[in-house]
Amino acid sequence: MLRVIKPKTARSKRALDAREPKEVEDPRTVIFVKGTHTGEVVNGVFKDLMALKRPHAVAFNKKNVIHPFDSATNSSTTSSSAAGSSTSIASLEFWAAKNDASMFVVGQTTKKRPNGMTFVRMFDGRVLDMIEVGVENYKAMADFKTPKSTPGNKPLLHFASELFDTHPRFIHLKSMLIDFFNGEEVDSISLIGLEHVISISLGPTPSTLNDATSMSLLPSTYSADSVQANPLAAVASASFIASSLPPTAATSLAMASASLPKVHIRAYTTKLLSSGVRVPRVELVPMGPALDLVLRRSQAPDADMLKLAMKRPKLKKTDVEKGLGKKRKNVEVDEMGDLRGRVHVGLQDLSKLKGRRMKGLQEERPGKKQRIEEDDGDDDMDDE
Amino acid sequence: MDVTSILDAQKAKQQNVTVEKETPLEIDAGHLMVSDLNPIDEESYNENLEEHLRALARDGTQALLAALFSLPTSKSADGPLAQLPPRTYQLPRQKALPKPKPPTKWERFAAAKGISHVKRDKKEWDEERQEWVNRWGKDGKNRRVEEQWLTEVKRNADPDHNPQLAARHERKERIAKNEKQHLANLARASGSSASGPSSRKAELEKSIATTRASTASMGKFDRKLDGEKKLRGVKRKFDPAERSVVDEQKSALKLIGSMDSDARKMRKAPRENEEGSVNARKAIRFASKGKGAASMAGGETRGKSSFAKGKKGGRR
Repeated sequence: MLRVIKPKTARSKRALDAREPKEVEDPRTVIFVKGTHTGEVVNGVFKDLMALKRPHAVAFNKKNVIHPFDSATNSSTTSSSAAGSSTSIASLEFWAAKNDASMFVVGQTTKKRPNGMTFVRMFDGRVLDMIEVGVENYKAMADFKTPKSTPGNKPLLHFASELFDTHPRFIHLKSMLIDFFNGEEVDSISLIGLEHVISISLGPTPSTLNDATSMSLLPSTYSADSVQANPLAAVASASFIASSLPPTAATSLAMASASLPKVHIRAYTTKLLSSGVRVPRVELVPMGPALDLVLRRSQAPDADMLKLAMKRPKLKKTDVEKGLGKKRKNVEVDEMGDLRGRVHVGLQDLSKLKGRRMKGLQEERPGKKQRIEEDDGDDDMDDE
Repeated sequence: MDVTSILDAQKAKQQNVTVEKETPLEIDAGHLMVSDLNPIDEESYNENLEEHLRALARDGTQALLAALFSLPTSKSADGPLAQLPPRTYQLPRQKALPKPKPPTKWERFAAAKGISHVKRDKKEWDEERQEWVNRWGKDGKNRRVEEQWLTEVKRNADPDHNPQLAARHERKERIAKNEKQHLANLARASGSSASGPSSRKAELEKSIATTRASTASMGKFDRKLDGEKKLRGVKRKFDPAERSVVDEQKSALKLIGSMDSDARKMRKAPRENEEGSVNARKAIRFASKGKGAASMAGGETRGKSSFAKGKKGGRR
């Protein structure tokens, strides 16, 4: 939809090249879009989240008719509609392309879903996944009369609850929130510059959730390690499994979703106090907005798109030297940091080896010795 | 000397900064993230929510800081920088991975020879002038000869030799050469799809065909050389000599019908001239010397002599 721009000046060419895909990516630019009815709470939340996300945030001023979960309802009702995306999804894709942004927060208040926010993530210009939450108990940043952190600082993230590792919906939420709050991807950080912490915790796990044990929602092959490495795969497959579960299990799943614990997001500034040891003792002062969220609808990522999105660039030589990468046989990094390999040549029969002829090293033939003795005798005779 | 008291004091201080939990907290230093996988304590949660959350966060942050402070550090102007380990938790990318570009001709050569890239600065130290000069750009060294007001030439130099122009020409040549190499690199990078030799062949054949038709008789009576392909021309089709009456009638009626119609081709017919077929428009244009009818109305006494420049001159 967007016309392809041919750069006519060096500056526009540089701007266009900055939008090219990179190996190590910039933080996601987030667009805050307001729906037809927002209300005070959603407006306030948007302002605070934007403050936390500056400068990688764009706010749209006008209200837009946008319903991200539109196509889901469309395709189920109308049979004649082709598998095309709804206009809301098309709008999101257009805005993402125009602003070079890859994340959205859509705010909307309706009677059925008051104070709703939808987090949308994009990959390659298309919608990857969405999570809708409802905001309850919002306290604005301005209401906390405490000093705030510098905008643009990388926050420390804290997740508290075991459900973030086991329940697929919370795994999905964790991934989404990390992507949202993440700052620049850096290799080193100034220890003095760790100014604020964003803490996301859940309410206590209700017993109903424990019964329909969350492990049953995940395939048995997923261990904790693989969840860590590719958490969304668990989500993508779990949603697939959920749709194919037998009726009884499905109802228990639905029940479970109704009683999901609330999500508490708090932001604190850190105060480092000197302890006797090198590590300082930390005290927290509440700073930022206080939000309580309720999980509503969500759309899990498509498995194929997810696979493409999780592709990593090939490991560079410097990383292999550091010891990363899959264990390759016969190759290792020694203590000096050099890459060493072993070459197996197999058994060699050294007696059959043909080397250079060196007269001095040759084995004496038996006949030769006698002749030398005779010659010596002759020489003596001559000298006299 | 009794060191137990000192040791105890040290231990107590250490206790201050360590965090004990049932399940140890998972720390992803690359993301500055700490995950607390212990189940939430219901009593503390129900008692005082904010305090409970704050305590939780404090413990998590303490563990994270302990991990961060134990990382190898390097010195910098703003204080110690901790070297972060690679990330464990993977996030999906925003854009697809960049396609690896094929190396350019120079890059291949440099890789083969082991030449590493040396970064050069814009400014260079000029020993003669004892100052930093630009290599290019404003007052750049590359334009020195063109811009200086005096250039020494050799005694036996050609009188027409202009060192300024020569220098400018050289610089332009260098730019053109670089541009050509750059385009060749780009073509090679995208090039496998264009399939070089066959596209060039098609180009050549096209130009040969045009040349053959560019003679006085449009290539019709030229002798054909061995190996040349037969020229394709427009094939004229003639109706057979004997046609059926019906066909002839149809085509005749069609022709008459189109003559009568409002079709565009027919509208080119000249307008009907009454009054002895004089083209009034042309006549006015001629008489007024291109100025139009309005100027002819009482304009002869207005100072413009008929000798003066009209469109066709005064002498008529």
